[in-house]
Amino acid sequence: MSRMLVTGNAAAAWGARLARADYVPAFPITPQTEIIETLGGWIEAGELDARMVTLDSEHSMLTAAGAAAATGVRVFTATSSQGLLYAMEMIYTVAGWRAPFVLANVSRALAAPITLEPDHNDVLAARDSGFLQLHAATCQEVLDLTLLAYRLSEDEGVRLPIIVNLDGFYLSFTREPVQIPEPSAVDAFLPAFDPGGLGFSASRPVSQAVAVLGGGPYSYFRYEMHEAARNALAVFDQVAADFGDRFGRHYSPVESYRCDDAEIAFVMMGSFATKAKDAVDQLRDAGQAVGLVRPRMLRPFPDQALRDALVGRRGVAVIDQNLSMGLGGVLHTELSAALCGVPNAPVLASFVGGLGGRDIGASEFFAMVDVAREAARSGMPPVPRLLYTRSELREMRKLQGIAAAERAAAGQPGDGA
Amino acid sequence: MSDQLRSFFGCGLDDERTFDLDDYGDVVPRWCSGCGDHGVLNSVKRLMRDEQLLPERTVFVSGIGCSSRFPHYLNTYGFHGIHGRALPVATGIKLSRPDLHVFVVMGDGDCCSIGAGHWLHATRYNIDMTVLMLDNAIYGLTKNQTSPTTPMGYATNTQPKGSFLPALNPITTTLGVTNVSFVAQTADWVPAHLLATIRAAYRHSGFSFVRILQRCPKFTAPLFAEQARTPDLHEMLIHPNGVTVPGLDKIYKRSLEHDPADIDRARALSEESERVRLGVFYRNESQPRYDDIRHLPTHTAAQNIERLNVELDRYAV
Ligand SMILES: Cc1ncc(C[n+]2csc(CCOP(=O)(O)OP(=O)(O)O)c2C)c(N)n1
Ligand code: SF4
Ligand SMILES: [Mg+2]
Repeated sequence: MSRMLVTGNAAAAWGARLARADYVPAFPITPQTEIIETLGGWIEAGELDARMVTLDSEHSMLTAAGAAAATGVRVFTATSSQGLLYAMEMIYTVAGWRAPFVLANVSRALAAPITLEPDHNDVLAARDSGFLQLHAATCQEVLDLTLLAYRLSEDEGVRLPIIVNLDGFYLSFTREPVQIPEPSAVDAFLPAFDPGGLGFSASRPVSQAVAVLGGGPYSYFRYEMHEAARNALAVFDQVAADFGDRFGRHYSPVESYRCDDAEIAFVMMGSFATKAKDAVDQLRDAGQAVGLVRPRMLRPFPDQALRDALVGRRGVAVIDQNLSMGLGGVLHTELSAALCGVPNAPVLASFVGGLGGRDIGASEFFAMVDVAREAARSGMPPVPRLLYTRSELREMRKLQGIAAAERAAAGQPGDGA
Repeated sequence: MSDQLRSFFGCGLDDERTFDLDDYGDVVPRWCSGCGDHGVLNSVKRLMRDEQLLPERTVFVSGIGCSSRFPHYLNTYGFHGIHGRALPVATGIKLSRPDLHVFVVMGDGDCCSIGAGHWLHATRYNIDMTVLMLDNAIYGLTKNQTSPTTPMGYATNTQPKGSFLPALNPITTTLGVTNVSFVAQTADWVPAHLLATIRAAYRHSGFSFVRILQRCPKFTAPLFAEQARTPDLHEMLIHPNGVTVPGLDKIYKRSLEHDPADIDRARALSEESERVRLGVFYRNESQPRYDDIRHLPTHTAAQNIERLNVELDRYAV
């Protein structure tokens, strides 16, 4: 085992390398590109025995990934943001093929407007596809969850592709010390892919994915995917326990940080949750019983683990780094459903923050605790809020003023003149 | 004249404003110094100045890439689309607003890779627009990955030992599409030819496709360096119906007479050759145009007549 200072992107590439991925279809997109370039470099240098093909787009990349996995080889691929969306048709399709492989998604907010920085609307667009989802908060987790994902994905009772998510820039380009396990230890944890019924064999020709079905059999297969995804809850625990025994790093579907006696908990996903950890430490220093609950797994939804972590808290601030237009934060909605009707369920306060990589400051975490406490006291869920400061709004109004003046000067419509 | 009437007649008519280069944009672009995109932008502004295009009647549509920053640097309407989708965006604009001048700026990745499907169909639909494909033989914005036009053997970050396959030839490809109507090639380092070619493309009625060989000093400098400083490595296609730049033959001495009406010869000439050929390969204004056939009028004929009458009444004595 060696310890190296690597970026989140390099950690994802290490995951693929240690998993001995056979095939890597690729297409560049910021901030993911470093992953495929790292793998490409290793392959060219003869350090990694895999085939990489750069395709014309993410749509063909995902198609090739699913098809290759369906022939029985181990596949790794990676994308981000617009790329994930462009591949969306195939995201659903290959999940239906029950072809297990791992896709690293480097979260970046979606157009329009265009930005390069992260939020989770990209990966949430794949939420209902049949891909399972694991969300990393550190570079070490990116590597470890990639290895876990292969075991989970290839498990006989699961057989679904998995997205390992890491936040663009905050994690993709941040160097952290990462334990790189010995290849032989990884081989023992993750043996060669056993394709089971999948695969091509000259003596046993079968057609895959050809049927057009009526509603009855269609429902059957769709529900079967759902059940396979639910199976992944128990399988994850087994696989994570094995991983913990071998490597000494223990992963649960939901991380609880300083939660034992917490009255108020933050709930957050991804690398921004490390900001919440900082805030928790500061609040603890000030004598406040506050903790953090962080789902590492979003699909299958770890509802029981979340109930276990949250029931008994007085108030909960759910911080969604995503926005479902016309509804609000996705995690808040899912948590509300998980806690609905549960005795002693805490009151949830919903916040949307970190869109397009907007920072979340310590003072905002402190303010959210106040809101959550007040909600717990009154028993009334507060109105959902967007994290946005007065000075940001002032700045925005200034820009809008400039734009309006420019439009008026150009005599263009829309200036109200 | 009312806005509606101006839109009915097209642009420019009866407009007292005059436009200078700066009126079309005076922002300093954020391209690397020495990037060929600067020269293309200058030529485009010159064209607009020469033709006195109304900024509010002109649209620049782009995809995503270094080259696709184009609309940001112009005071016209701009549409910075998404990667690969510039052509369908332009199609939507032109079909609903046929009165606008539509320019499309794409990179080789935008056009020949992720958006290649649109390229084929847009060529066949032959909707009136001027298409500038800025070909630097690389994915520039994402920093140095093999594109379909990267020459075989050229090393990039995704293929460090060199691109495995022969490069796609965008000129032969476009010339092979049914109903193609205008195909030309020029280079950012021959500004006079660049301007003349863009002008010919602009004046062509139909889908005019111009491949502009574009230097990227950051990632593909060796591909263009010698070419750009050696006129003898070029062969100019000349013809009264092509582009002719007076005086250019003093420097670019090698030339070839080619009638752009001759598609077979155009196809033959577009194949790889010892020298890079610049000029109009093909031009045919009699090809059917989708926007002509399926024109969606912005007003009904009766409405237009009514507006026309109102306007003419102003001059009644
Ligand atoms: C769907 C999607 N996939 C990938 C990308 C990442 N991306 C941005 S620009 C680009 C290629 C740019 O190359 P080119 O079109 O040749 O333009 P240049 O930068 O060279 O001018 C890529 C792959 C994206 N924006 N959207
Ligand atoms: S990277 Fe290349 S194409 Fe992009 S701005 Fe720089 S020189 Fe131009
Ligand atoms: Mg390019």
